[in-house]
Amino acid sequence: MATPAPEFLRFTTHKSLTQRLVLSTLTGRPIHVSQIRSSSPTNPGLAPHEISFLRLLDSITNGSVMQISYTGTTLTYMPGLITGSVGTGGGGDIVRCVLPETCRRGVSWFLLPLCMLAPFSKGPVNVRFEGEGVITSATETGDVCVDTLRTAVLPLYEQFGILGSKLELRVLQRSCAGSGGKGGGGVVELRFGSQVRLPKTLHLNRSPGRVKRIRGVAYCTGVAASGNARMIHAARGVLNPLVSDVHVAAQYDQAPLVSSGDSSDPKAKKRTGIGFGLCLIAESSSEGVIYSADVPAPSSGGVTPEDVGKQCAYQLLEIISQGGCVTRVGAPTILTLMAMGSEDIGRVRLGRDVVGTEDIIGLGRDLKKFGASNWGLRDAEDDGTGDIIISVKGIGVGNVGRKIG
Amino acid sequence: MASMLGKRKRRGREITKKESREESEGSDASGLDAQEIFRRHFEAQFKPLPVARQPSKPTDEDSADGSEEESDWGGISDNEETEVQVVEHTEAQARTAAMSKEELKSFMSSKLPKSAPTVSVLRDKAGASIEDDDPSEAANLKKDLALQRLLAESHLLDYAKSSTISGSNRHKATDLRLQALGSKTSILKQEKMPMSHRKGIVAKKTEKEETRRKEARENGIILEKAKMKKSIEGKRDRGVGAPGVGKFSGGTLNLSKKDILDIEGPRRSSAGRGGRGGGRGRGKRGR
Repeated sequence: MATPAPEFLRFTTHKSLTQRLVLSTLTGRPIHVSQIRSSSPTNPGLAPHEISFLRLLDSITNGSVMQISYTGTTLTYMPGLITGSVGTGGGGDIVRCVLPETCRRGVSWFLLPLCMLAPFSKGPVNVRFEGEGVITSATETGDVCVDTLRTAVLPLYEQFGILGSKLELRVLQRSCAGSGGKGGGGVVELRFGSQVRLPKTLHLNRSPGRVKRIRGVAYCTGVAASGNARMIHAARGVLNPLVSDVHVAAQYDQAPLVSSGDSSDPKAKKRTGIGFGLCLIAESSSEGVIYSADVPAPSSGGVTPEDVGKQCAYQLLEIISQGGCVTRVGAPTILTLMAMGSEDIGRVRLGRDVVGTEDIIGLGRDLKKFGASNWGLRDAEDDGTGDIIISVKGIGVGNVGRKIG
Repeated sequence: MASMLGKRKRRGREITKKESREESEGSDASGLDAQEIFRRHFEAQFKPLPVARQPSKPTDEDSADGSEEESDWGGISDNEETEVQVVEHTEAQARTAAMSKEELKSFMSSKLPKSAPTVSVLRDKAGASIEDDDPSEAANLKKDLALQRLLAESHLLDYAKSSTISGSNRHKATDLRLQALGSKTSILKQEKMPMSHRKGIVAKKTEKEETRRKEARENGIILEKAKMKKSIEGKRDRGVGAPGVGKFSGGTLNLSKKDILDIEGPRRSSAGRGGRGGGRGRGKRGR
């Protein structure tokens, strides 16, 4: 081939690794990541969940090459085409992604970047997460629960011209984080059946409006179902004086049954992923503005459902007070899709505290490194909220697979 | 002090009403103490009020009333009044958030939740009485339907006014709706009745029609052409498997003379060929 050797974009550390892998796949530029936990004497290199994500990336793309050094501290990734789950074989049109029981991150850590790739895929992206490492609840490592992902993050895609009716997130088995925050045993299936050539330009710079309705899910897995009512009651105690329309669904499930890992008795099973938690969604009067909060019970236990409910309600209030049209959870998705859109300037209004986080600033820098144009920031001057309007110019990459195929 | 006893309240309202009247009569009266004027006016009409001295301002009166009430009771001392007792009421059994069944279903399904939960019209049974100011789309649809029905069936109502047949009216309305939906026959049409009744009905019908035509002809009015009665042609259909001849009744097949003659066919008698005129022809017609 006469093509010159690809020029690697160089990054260090494992920080926002998925974000960089996603951007690399979308823009088609190879990356080289070094110093991944190189200073850690006990667990150097890539963590189990990161390896799982690389495997997942490998199974939904065609022609991608990844090389990991012996110690796992260096990763080279050359992206291929995003084909989705067509022609992968192995049980219909669905890709199975098995997470090991050492996984500490919730399944939403995988789902968020996967959903960013899915609109640009050649075919529909159907992935089923299973195995002993699938945690569907929110985790202490900062991942949201699948209900939040479905009710607060996936609706954001509708504003980019992606059909919400073709998105589905099935929770076949719920699970909280197991002992020590490791492993779960849940089963989650994502069906992303709507692909676009180019996402629509987003103009979300209007006033975020006022919260008109609060919804939520309280989940108990393997613990007494009365915890749901207690969490809901405590949360409503905080929220009822503020909003009248507060409804929280209660979800009780049995704990998942996984093999006990006893070599003498391979058929032995044990229950894992016991716990509870609450997620709350606040919908604003302005369309497309959703705030969310998530609080899980820690896997070590020791908190009452009332505490969790109250804490979640306060967290929701804090997130609402940050303002803007998109929360911290949804902002990376929105900004990445805007950057991948057509060569037109889209605008989004974010709270000052949301923009000022390390994630968002880091995302802006990464985007620039991958060839996207700079963001334009200015204050929203119409009121005294102190929000910031970010103007993002798309790079018009769009869907390469669609262009060819 | 807003929620005083009912009696007091009424008096207060009376006062304000009179006050306004007084003010309209003369502006100089407004300079005086209104309360005093009212008291005088009241005492002039009725007997003197028992309270010796009325407080000068209505707000003062309120506080005075309050103190009156308290003086009857006089239960708590001052230092107890100052500190506010806070009671936190926590219920163990909480009324869980009652999401409606549909909303719960749509919210907890694997699909994205709809931003605006829609109310289906069909499921809104039992709630027959919709509030007039219900702005929802479903309520509007329901009202539309009710109005359309009223317009379509209003001719039944003025008939109903004269008599007391509400039930038959209802049946007629049902019939109208069924026919609007495409029913071929009316539910009011009687299917089974004794033959004599049916005959009578048919006879009456034809008689009416005849008189109508006759009168029209006498008065020189041209009517539509009379519908020709369809004559039954050929043999009647006897159904599959039934005997093709005779009349079956009471478990026996009765053959008339004619049938037998038909079956036998033309008799070849020695009496002569032309003896029976149509013999041959008849045989032919009987197949």
